[in-house]
Amino acid sequence: MTDLLSLQGLSKSWFGIPANRDVSFSVREASVLGIIGQNGAGKSTLMNMIGGVVKPTSGHMLWRGLPYEPAGAADATRIGIAFIHQELNLFTNLSVAENLYIDGFPRRMGLIDWKRINERSRQVLSRLSLDFDPSVEVGRLSPGERQLVEIARALHNEASLLIFDEPTTSLTPRETERLFATIENLKSQGCTIIYISHILSDVQRLCDDIVVLRDGELVSKGTITEFPIPLMIRSMIGRDMGGMFPPRSNQPQGATVLEARGLTQPGVIEDVDLTVHEGEILGLFGLMGAGRSELARVLFGLDKCAKGTISLKGRPLEGPVRAHIEAGMAFVTENRREEGLMMDASVAENLTLASLAAFGRGPFALIDRDRVAERTERMREELNIKASDIHSQPAKALSGGNQQKVVIGKWQLRDPDLFILDEPTRGVDVGAKYEIYSLIDQIAARGGGIMMISSELEELMGMADRIVVMNRGEIKGQVLRQDFDRERILALAFGEIAE
Amino acid sequence: MKRIMKRLVGFTLSHSTAVFFVLILLWFGVQAPQFLQPESLANIIKQSSFIGIAALGMTVVLITGGIDLSVGSVMFLAPLIAGMAMRSFGLPVEAGFVVAMVVGAGLGGLNAFFIVVLRVVPFIVTLASLFVFRGFGTWLTSSTQFDFPERMRTFGLSNVLGIPTPILVFAVTAVAIHIMLRHTGAGRQIYAFGNDREAARKAGLAVELIEARAYIISSVCAAISGFVMISQIGRLDVGFGQGREFDVIAAAVLGGASLFGGVGTALGAVAGATLIQTAKLGLVFTGVNLYMQPIILGTVIFAAMVADGIRGRRLRDKLARTIRPLGSS
Amino acid sequence: MSSSPVPRRELKDKAVDLLLSDQFVLYLSIFYVLLLAPFLPMLVTPANLVNVLSNMWPLLIVAIGQTFVLAIGGIDLSQGAAIALTSVLGAVLITGAADPATFANTPIWGWLLTDAGGPLAGVDHGVVLAIAAMLVAAVVIGLINGMAVAMFAMPAFIVTLVAMMIFSAFALWLTQSGNVANLPDDFIRLGRGDIVSVYFGAKEEAKIARRAIYSLVTYPMVIAMCVALAAHMLLNRTVFGSQVLAIGMNRKAAEISGVRVRRIIIAVFVLSAVCAMIGGLLFAARLEAGRPTLGGGSFLLDVIGAAVIGGTSLFGGKAKVIWTFFGVMFYVIMASSLSAMNLSAFQIDMVKGGIILCAALLDVLRTRLKRERVR
Repeated sequence: MTDLLSLQGLSKSWFGIPANRDVSFSVREASVLGIIGQNGAGKSTLMNMIGGVVKPTSGHMLWRGLPYEPAGAADATRIGIAFIHQELNLFTNLSVAENLYIDGFPRRMGLIDWKRINERSRQVLSRLSLDFDPSVEVGRLSPGERQLVEIARALHNEASLLIFDEPTTSLTPRETERLFATIENLKSQGCTIIYISHILSDVQRLCDDIVVLRDGELVSKGTITEFPIPLMIRSMIGRDMGGMFPPRSNQPQGATVLEARGLTQPGVIEDVDLTVHEGEILGLFGLMGAGRSELARVLFGLDKCAKGTISLKGRPLEGPVRAHIEAGMAFVTENRREEGLMMDASVAENLTLASLAAFGRGPFALIDRDRVAERTERMREELNIKASDIHSQPAKALSGGNQQKVVIGKWQLRDPDLFILDEPTRGVDVGAKYEIYSLIDQIAARGGGIMMISSELEELMGMADRIVVMNRGEIKGQVLRQDFDRERILALAFGEIAE
Repeated sequence: MKRIMKRLVGFTLSHSTAVFFVLILLWFGVQAPQFLQPESLANIIKQSSFIGIAALGMTVVLITGGIDLSVGSVMFLAPLIAGMAMRSFGLPVEAGFVVAMVVGAGLGGLNAFFIVVLRVVPFIVTLASLFVFRGFGTWLTSSTQFDFPERMRTFGLSNVLGIPTPILVFAVTAVAIHIMLRHTGAGRQIYAFGNDREAARKAGLAVELIEARAYIISSVCAAISGFVMISQIGRLDVGFGQGREFDVIAAAVLGGASLFGGVGTALGAVAGATLIQTAKLGLVFTGVNLYMQPIILGTVIFAAMVADGIRGRRLRDKLARTIRPLGSS
Repeated sequence: MSSSPVPRRELKDKAVDLLLSDQFVLYLSIFYVLLLAPFLPMLVTPANLVNVLSNMWPLLIVAIGQTFVLAIGGIDLSQGAAIALTSVLGAVLITGAADPATFANTPIWGWLLTDAGGPLAGVDHGVVLAIAAMLVAAVVIGLINGMAVAMFAMPAFIVTLVAMMIFSAFALWLTQSGNVANLPDDFIRLGRGDIVSVYFGAKEEAKIARRAIYSLVTYPMVIAMCVALAAHMLLNRTVFGSQVLAIGMNRKAAEISGVRVRRIIIAVFVLSAVCAMIGGLLFAARLEAGRPTLGGGSFLLDVIGAAVIGGTSLFGGKAKVIWTFFGVMFYVIMASSLSAMNLSAFQIDMVKGGIILCAALLDVLRTRLKRERVR
């Protein structure tokens, strides 16, 4: 078998920070290559380079032995590379056949030639052994069926390399089976597939070869028979991060701050029990799409939850976000830009947003500007926010680290009992990360409870007193600080072991 | 019992036009039996053509997720310019008809320029052009009535094979829009654009062209509807078409076009326009106060929009992202 | 050769500074007057200035209400209808006499309105009670708009467009399109009563010619300035105002930070309707009648145009009462100059339509410049 695509010493750095370093491997024609790695291992940058979205800093690629230098996504599509993402790019109000042909309908006498479209669509669908009618509206299909339609679109565009990125997360077991059968089928027809997934048993079942990435580098590769699952996990485990974190300055107290029992929301989370104590940093680990942020949103009252109870300091919590905030909860979301900050507003305005009512004076709730100035200035000093003038400088003019400090400061002004931090160091440079870690430690030292969500296991192992691991919306187990063990935590996160 | 209620609500939401239609016919039928006579029903269809033709164009704009508030003024200005051309150059009615369409296309192109190129929100652009177009037209007529040549009325009252011309024009426009939306690539791309603008761009569609085309089609339809209506009267009054945008939007929404984009059909627009006209005529038949009618119509439109809003929310809930299969536990 | 780009950039920076400054529209108004004064000398006569001012106050009040709605990223097209409905309602309650020829067919004839006028005609504090009734009606209109927008997540322009249709039709239905006149003097004084007047004639003349008296301080002026001051405090100095702007800037962030988003949206629409009602009160008092067609036609453009040209953004989150003040001033000066040029009402509508487009374009430009400035 020949190589369809070869990467030779591919590297990419963003502003001097490497995302991929010297990655070389080949994909054999008519085979399935699995790519595995932790969050942030560099998988998406690598795929973006193959897809022509990102230009490599150095290194080159060969397509069927010839140099391949895509100038944009269109080039990749033209030579026959297709991506099947988790978020589908389908038009739900159009039929399956229309989705296949949307960028160019065959015509007969000026009108769409439905007969030909339906016939050809049926042919494409039958290549995938799909029996549904091409005239059915995509909106009526299940998530799994839509995924298959996306594959059909790729086949229709005569793709010879299909790249799947976490295709099975929202599929039922039956749909997953059907997808796997389809992939096997495609392989037998000569299609080449790159399969990226966190579900290692699937990778083992489906793939012929495997590539393991870690911190942007290729750490090992080989045929699937050389990679039992424990070896996959060992290969993915990263470097030691000693010295990156401040020492924890307190021990968790006994009193419970947050207690959640049996939280269930169909399609999202299933029977989640969770406890956070005073002065404790609870790490919540899971792979992308494990339901960590979704759980946080349920805890904060942003999303509904069909079953289960939440209580804060012994008082049961119900109702809207506001009730949760007033009871003493704070939530730093993973999406600073869209959910955390008013980017056009000043630092001071952002800092006071969650505690505005406290600054109101008199019957008209006039804002006590002196107190605003005093409190925000104190918060600026306390958090060491680097801004020239907190009353005129807009939030968007700050660096990522300082923006995050503003979001934390916004809640600090309320002095909450429980902090939910979702990816608190995302988009924050290395120096500022340490500052954020120290801040988190100080909050805990003052007796606040913290639930810290992160995709970086090393970060949680450096900061947390206890790590709870989620997989597909369920809690798979917890590990205490003295028992921290990368292999074990990852195995829990990959759903390979359960307690 | 609860299940039946739920299904009833679901049915009403998804077939609101049909439900409204049946209720209205029943109500007026009971109130004034002569309303259900064939003559008055035929009359309804003839009168529906005015709102209906414009509603067909509005449907196209609504499918893109936009709105066109300027239709009432286009109905006024485009036929006016056509009429002036007819008077000064002695053009036949057919040529005047073409002039009206060309002027309509130009006015729609103006809207499209501000919306697509300068990226100003559609409702502000078309709100402004609503006044600009009407102001320009009134300036042309010096705020007086404009009389069309006599042959205009002959055209308006003529029959082709026994079918009144207005109905014929309505039918032809409806079929043309239906074929365009249903059976051409351009039409299907309008739906794709309305469903997900970003995905349409990623699929390599010319999104700017798609959006611009919708506003041009809407204005051309409004021009035709104005021309056909005027041809029945023979003159153009100062306030002609004023406030008609409500009826047109209402007809399109009642016909199933969603204000959130991506949904709507030509057939629906025809049904919606007929429904509006039925309701209007029914109100006249049952002797409801003239000033009461817009209140009732407004309330009906409001109800249709709330239904659309609820429908839209249900759809979004259905498409919400899940991280584990539903109901597998 | 090589030195020329530097000063040009400085010039460009200065132009951008000016465009983004609070007083931009004030400078624009002054420039506009100076530019046109040589050709239209009557523009700067005292009589015209008094006229400009008297046109400005009611519009200012209504535009302030609109400013709050724009601040949350919404729009209220139903303000004109709120004016029509509340002015008719108020007038019907206090009118001293009604002509059966006009009103005998109205649904309110006989029980609310009779030959002898409305139920509050001649009653002590009748005007105050009527204004209270108008206020209640305005609050109801605002609640309907606000709840539809906040609860059903429908676009504000559609909700208020339909509300405009229904409420203006309702106003027409109430009086069958008749104007309600014969209003008490207490009411009319609100529209044109002078508090301080200035006389420019010769001192010796015993009999002062009415035309030489210029109203300097009027009731509408005092009312409008009070509303403007209160609105300024409310928007820029209170917890409520900060929350309004926060919703306009980033609704999600506001929601997650515990701002009662729905409640504030509803409150803002109520505020908008109430401002419309106060402005309408002044219009009705000046016209000495409640008219169901008041606030119709291009009035909508006046309000939105004035607010947006002042600098309040259609995208929400950026709004100041002082901007609206300058915006209204510019708008009224421009309208007066257009009528001084002997343009017809329809031509003026055309220009106004063009101005709203320019204002919207200016808004797009300002937003883009501000974004670039930070980077």
